[in-house]
Amino acid sequence: MTTAAHADPAVIAAASSVLEEMKSVASSLDYAALLTDDGFDVARLPGEIDGARFASMASSMQALGDAVTHELRIGDSEYIIIASPRGYVVQLRVPGHAMVLSALFDNDATIGSALSVARTFVTKMAALLSEAPAHRPESAVASS
Amino acid sequence: MDEEPTPGTTPRPTPMGWAQAAIAVNSVLQLSIPMLLKLELNDHEPLYIDFRHHAFAWSTPLTSFPADAVLLGLQTQPIELDAPLLFDLPGQDLDGLLWLIGTNSFSGARASWLASDDRYKLTRWPNLTQHIHSMRQMHMIAMLGNAYLSSSELAAMAGVEEPDAQRLINALSLMRILAQSTEVPAAVVAEQPVAKRESLFARLRAKLGR
Amino acid sequence: MAEHVILFTGPMGAGKTTAIQAVSEIAVVSTEANNSERHLVDKPTTTVALDYGEILLDGEEKIRLYGIPGQRRFDFMWAILKKRAQGMVLLVNNDAPDPIGEMLTYLDDFRELYDRGGVVVGVSRSDVSSEPSLAAYGDALAVAHPGKVVPVFTVDPRNNDHMRMVLLALVANIEMRALFGLTESRSI
Repeated sequence: MTTAAHADPAVIAAASSVLEEMKSVASSLDYAALLTDDGFDVARLPGEIDGARFASMASSMQALGDAVTHELRIGDSEYIIIASPRGYVVQLRVPGHAMVLSALFDNDATIGSALSVARTFVTKMAALLSEAPAHRPESAVASS
Repeated sequence: MDEEPTPGTTPRPTPMGWAQAAIAVNSVLQLSIPMLLKLELNDHEPLYIDFRHHAFAWSTPLTSFPADAVLLGLQTQPIELDAPLLFDLPGQDLDGLLWLIGTNSFSGARASWLASDDRYKLTRWPNLTQHIHSMRQMHMIAMLGNAYLSSSELAAMAGVEEPDAQRLINALSLMRILAQSTEVPAAVVAEQPVAKRESLFARLRAKLGR
Repeated sequence: MAEHVILFTGPMGAGKTTAIQAVSEIAVVSTEANNSERHLVDKPTTTVALDYGEILLDGEEKIRLYGIPGQRRFDFMWAILKKRAQGMVLLVNNDAPDPIGEMLTYLDDFRELYDRGGVVVGVSRSDVSSEPSLAAYGDALAVAHPGKVVPVFTVDPRNNDHMRMVLLALVANIEMRALFGLTESRSI
């Protein structure tokens, strides 16, 4: 019986550990979340941000990014960056899974280093998900 | 042609048609008593209406509705709510039939149950995905949905002949989705911007409509 | 040239994306993501940002069609899209537990669109579930919004004819509401 990622304890635990490790190596990381493609919060770092709302918004951004690149026929969107006076939001897909990492770095980081960190950890997350048999994007069975 | 008078009515000098059916149907709907009604028409199988379930059964499809049918006989029968079904449910939705009877009776004159001075306004839109209608009728329905209008006012505003407006009013009244009032004043039209080009509805209709 | 924008609203699974695909003359831009809630609504994907389609009139005039994501957690998208629109097609699924309740909720959520322009309600899957009837929808609307007559039609969102009918009725209704001074003036 398969379960949605944001309701699967094994996935949540894996996601939490990835984010914590990410925080420990990147001091400029202010906030990060792993979310499902359709905007559910799987795990997030502590903070004053409304995690549920942020997850929905990040999923909309991800889908719009893909819509733009498909419209331009340049392939899938690889990453999205939103730059602002007080930090960068860097967002990219966990490869091979219906999950997205969205992370807020403060201006101590450069875009390059932020991206590098984010890439490292989505790769780790993908590896952990591929080990766990339960989570598949096409899972259709209710868990109740 | 030879005609058999319906029991209880005076013989009519002209053949009965949809007007008589409309009058009978309107009476039943107004009384709100559970009733069955059978219409016998020339060249068609009988039409049965079960008012308990707002449904009818007829072998003639509504897409082949005979506007000039001659009504040979009409029988009504009160029935208990839980008495056996006359035909398998759901049958066909009665509204579809009421729309066609209403627009095809009285030859564009006012239905006999409507008074002359009234203005009308919709209480509910008819289900336009299910009723065969013209774009002019849709336009008139949109007017009646938002203002009290007499048949002559409706015709003038929609740019149609008054009988066409009256047919629509008859049908909507028969379907019981029309409010009427003698006291309400003429509708006020808001000021129009200068020299508007053809409305969006007209342009969209040219693109999509029939 | 005025911009004409119609919003398709309603709960998840009612057929908004399908309806826009049925009438759009351009390939619809959609933002579908894997649906994590198959147990709630059984479809493989769900809209997470918007759908976008167009109907082209003569010249360069067009009607833009936007579909919202149905789930409430995307209501920031509702706020963005509702500002652009003059009218709304509200789709509900007659097979759902409380479609009338959902209709009234979405009418409230999009109240300013209703006040500014107009609404048509489309009830899908009434062939699967015949109750509630259209009369029941009408009665509920009469109680919640007395004096306002909202068109309610049965629709199959896949059916191009049905969706054309809905759009024409919506535009006719918006224009007549404006004509009789029932809306804040903003020409369509």
